[in-house]
Amino acid sequence: MSSGSTVTTTVTKASIYTRFTGHQGVMIGAFIVLAIVLVALLAPLLAPHDPYQQNLLARLIPPVWDSRGSWDHVLGTDHLGRDYLSRLIYGARISLLIGFGAALISGLIGTVMGVMAGYFGGRVDMVVTFLITVRLSMPVVLVALAVVAIVGGSLQVVITVLGLLLWDRFAVVMRSSTLQIRSMDYVAAAQAVGCSTKRILMTEIMPNVVNNLIVIATLEMAHAIILEAALSFLGLGVQPPLPSWGLMVSEGKDMMLFEAWLITIPGVALFLLVLAINLMGDGVRDITAPENRN
Amino acid sequence: MLYYTLKRLALAALVALTVSFISFGLLYLSSDPAIAMAGETASDADIEAIRQLYGFDRPILVQYFDWLQRAAAGDLGKSYYFRTDVSALIGERLPTTMTLGVCAITFAILLSVPLGVAAAIRPNSLVDRIALFLSVMGQALPSFWFALMLIVFLSVSLRLLPTSGSDTWLHFVMPTVVLGYYAAPAIMRLTRTGMLEVLSTDYIRTARAKGLRPPVVLFKHALRNAIIPVVSLAAVQFGFMLGGSIVVETIFALHGAGFLAWESITRNDLPTVQGLILVFSLFYIVLTFFADLINAWLDPRIRIK
Amino acid sequence: MVVNKHFSKLLVGALLAAGASTAAHAGKSNDTLNVAIDRELESIDNYYNTAREGIVISRMVWDGLLYRDPKTNKYLPNLATAYNWVDSKTLQFDLRKGVKFHNGEKFDADDVVFTLNYLGDPANGAKPARNVNWWNNAEKLGEYKVQLNLKKEFPAALEFLSGPLVMYPNDYYSKNGPEGMALKPVGTGPYQVTSVEPGKRYKFKKYDGYHASSPKGKASIGNIVIRTIAESNTQLAELFSGGIDWIWKVKPDQAERIKSQGAFTVKNSSTMRIGYLNFDAMGRHSKNPMNDVRVRRAIAHSIDREGIVKALVQGESIVVNSLCFPSQFGCTQDVPTYDYNPEKAKKLLAEAGYPNGFETPFLAYRNRDYAEAMINNLNAVGIKAKLEYLKYAAFRDKVQSGGAPFNFGTWGSYSINDVSAITSHFQSGGKDDYSKDPEVIKQLGIGDTSVDANVRQSAYKAALSRISGEAFMFPLWSYNTWYAFSKDVDFNPTPDEIPRFFTAKWM
Repeated sequence: MSSGSTVTTTVTKASIYTRFTGHQGVMIGAFIVLAIVLVALLAPLLAPHDPYQQNLLARLIPPVWDSRGSWDHVLGTDHLGRDYLSRLIYGARISLLIGFGAALISGLIGTVMGVMAGYFGGRVDMVVTFLITVRLSMPVVLVALAVVAIVGGSLQVVITVLGLLLWDRFAVVMRSSTLQIRSMDYVAAAQAVGCSTKRILMTEIMPNVVNNLIVIATLEMAHAIILEAALSFLGLGVQPPLPSWGLMVSEGKDMMLFEAWLITIPGVALFLLVLAINLMGDGVRDITAPENRN
Repeated sequence: MLYYTLKRLALAALVALTVSFISFGLLYLSSDPAIAMAGETASDADIEAIRQLYGFDRPILVQYFDWLQRAAAGDLGKSYYFRTDVSALIGERLPTTMTLGVCAITFAILLSVPLGVAAAIRPNSLVDRIALFLSVMGQALPSFWFALMLIVFLSVSLRLLPTSGSDTWLHFVMPTVVLGYYAAPAIMRLTRTGMLEVLSTDYIRTARAKGLRPPVVLFKHALRNAIIPVVSLAAVQFGFMLGGSIVVETIFALHGAGFLAWESITRNDLPTVQGLILVFSLFYIVLTFFADLINAWLDPRIRIK
Repeated sequence: MVVNKHFSKLLVGALLAAGASTAAHAGKSNDTLNVAIDRELESIDNYYNTAREGIVISRMVWDGLLYRDPKTNKYLPNLATAYNWVDSKTLQFDLRKGVKFHNGEKFDADDVVFTLNYLGDPANGAKPARNVNWWNNAEKLGEYKVQLNLKKEFPAALEFLSGPLVMYPNDYYSKNGPEGMALKPVGTGPYQVTSVEPGKRYKFKKYDGYHASSPKGKASIGNIVIRTIAESNTQLAELFSGGIDWIWKVKPDQAERIKSQGAFTVKNSSTMRIGYLNFDAMGRHSKNPMNDVRVRRAIAHSIDREGIVKALVQGESIVVNSLCFPSQFGCTQDVPTYDYNPEKAKKLLAEAGYPNGFETPFLAYRNRDYAEAMINNLNAVGIKAKLEYLKYAAFRDKVQSGGAPFNFGTWGSYSINDVSAITSHFQSGGKDDYSKDPEVIKQLGIGDTSVDANVRQSAYKAALSRISGEAFMFPLWSYNTWYAFSKDVDFNPTPDEIPRFFTAKWM
């Protein structure tokens, strides 16, 4: 569980650059993620149709490669006659937003708690460690499901719940990283010359834990995206008509034995995104701290 | 050791208390159990009567302590839906989930430890790449998709395995694979890292230098050391699995605790949900408690800390 | 990843393979019909569960005094050989002789008196309360003669006595109670229960001693096993691989594909369930646009019910204009109607002071696709409806506590073929009533308590006309159920959505 990380050895910017470009996983991952981000940003330009426009007379048209398909709807239409390609393109926005939003919230909570615990130690550390233990002991998936079932799912609720759910790994890693850096000479030196705690945290601690932070953030982002798909499967994801990829999979699942493309298309998109984010995260870790691949 | 044990025990109890308090608060503050219990055709007066009968009109803290007192005596209340004791209900469903959990964790370990070791022996080799690919796949494939695909190919198409239910051990094969596959990546990565670390230590180098045969070095010396954190990770993963088997149990129609939890949530059956949360968290706490004790026994430095 | 195209082929191949070997179905060869349902039943004691599957089992295991023929809707004698209204509040029955319960207990007046008095006692909490709260007591007049004393005039009495009210063995039930009945049910019905795994699986065997004069007839299939499988894809996979012989509530698009494959029998039947929109006409939730009748009428004009029924609801469903199912007693379609007319809707909205529409929450708990199609219709006239899709329990809580200005619900009337089971439920001033209109409440009161069919009919018509005219609630369409089963099975669905396995046969 814990990745007992050490301070990264100082490497020059140029060597980091070559390491990144030389690392296949990172390059592939970054390329896919970049492509998906571009698609999300340029959605209005790329989408051939309005993703919300229904046509009940043109439901479940298969993609173009099927003999029943046509170029009018390249990826076909869904159960309400909406253009599948357009929904997929707009869905990239929602899925990225969920991953990013959840990672941001959990990252904030986890980092603040972890850094505080690592830096101040003592009582603060005890409280934070206790909270982490409580969080890990709580079958949070169950609690989250129960709360979402009562409150009703929506984009905000899903992001908030996932954000509150995934902070533990941030806290664990940030705590141990901070703990190690705190015992470094230069931190002691900064304390000795009377730098304020805030200044030490911002200028000495944070820059040195940021690599670990990025790694965890990418992994949790991927985790959040895949969890949203599971929530959608149980009918507790984002509210329609928002086209998240998880929701598209769950909307297509009743027909999966007959029209497999309905869940294959958003499923592959989801798979590629999560795979790419994970490849990036793993790669960043390989490059900045190769000894911590776990 | 005794002092350490007692300290850990007190902490475990405190954690259990906090978990039950938080979940109780979340559940009971966000819905009105009286309406759920009264049923579809009840009047406002009926609901008020139920509220008083069950004491839902009392402050939430009073209700919590009342629940806690009875829970301590093993009474988790009655299910709103089945009208039977929650503890009996959970006792009836838990064995299925436990069987599934044990099978799945065994499968995960059998799959991931050898892969992790192989990957560590030859870093960046083909085996290492395959291991990495499998583990990334495990993180990126939605479990319900994987489960339904297995059903389509193994039971509908090839007729090798029964589709759903829990009558024979054959029924557990597909659920085990699906659930275990998601626990495997973490274990594999930890085994690989652990092995890499141990293999680079001085005493392994010494052992090698002394001319011991590679398999002896690998299994007698390296793996034994690398496996310790893996064991406690496996314990943690097992705890997660019990709560995380909802989707798998739903698809394979296994009537275990995960399916019960999900159905109870959709039915607003709060005592059952609360009871399951307690049982799952206790399970996790007990597992980590023993894992800590084993670690402390293995590594005396922890005891003093 | 497998390329998508190959993937589809593989799936189709899998299905064809399944279709080709349906002969291998286990069902017929060992005389066992394997049935899948999608939910856990709380209990199979008839009076302590409210699920439709519970009603299905109830018809198999127990009998009522009367039996309503699902085809003719006539009340036929079953455990009673004759009934007689002594006056408008007193009902007498002659009971059938020679009937035995599954455990050998003799059926007589003691069983009837015990059952009805047990149910009538609110302390026993039999569910649902509306089924059992309309009589004072039952009296034994002779070994095979009983009298039921009603609290007030109750025209739907025979409907209840021919359906949900089944007779229990007094000795067994007073000894074992609801818990015993749930684990080892005993009745007089065409099937007896051989094993109960609560919430999971129930096994039944044909009751050889079933009384020959029953209008339900003796069962033909020897054994029935009912299992809970929550996931619809798993149910289909079981059907295709022969583990299950009979499923229902198949989605329309699935049904169409199964049908076109030709390996299974697929049937559709209309049900008594109808869908509706409920508006906060009286401002129970808040001051909101729904308080204005013009807005409610505008919404009614904006929904393309015909289009949705044709594309999504499919099957035998029809558009309904009054708040009831056409076959129900007292239901009339002769009420003010609203055609699909977005232009008119926009005009009405402008008159009401919302030329640019407005935003509103929109609660729903099932048929997310229908809800989305309606949201699309509303959008077209400028109304931004924000869907809040909840689980049924949460939906009901929120609606009944006044938390929903605008919701899409459905109602199955417990398969009671009488308007009092639906219109009176929603519009008599109860918790689901968001208009509480004194005139509607008055007319429904007259209809619910009169025994004169003409008086009832005209009172219900007045109420239904006012509800539609003022658009307190907007009826949408009737529902239907798709059944898919092995070609070995001869089964016919009925409009009351209660599959009668005792009439099913092997081909």
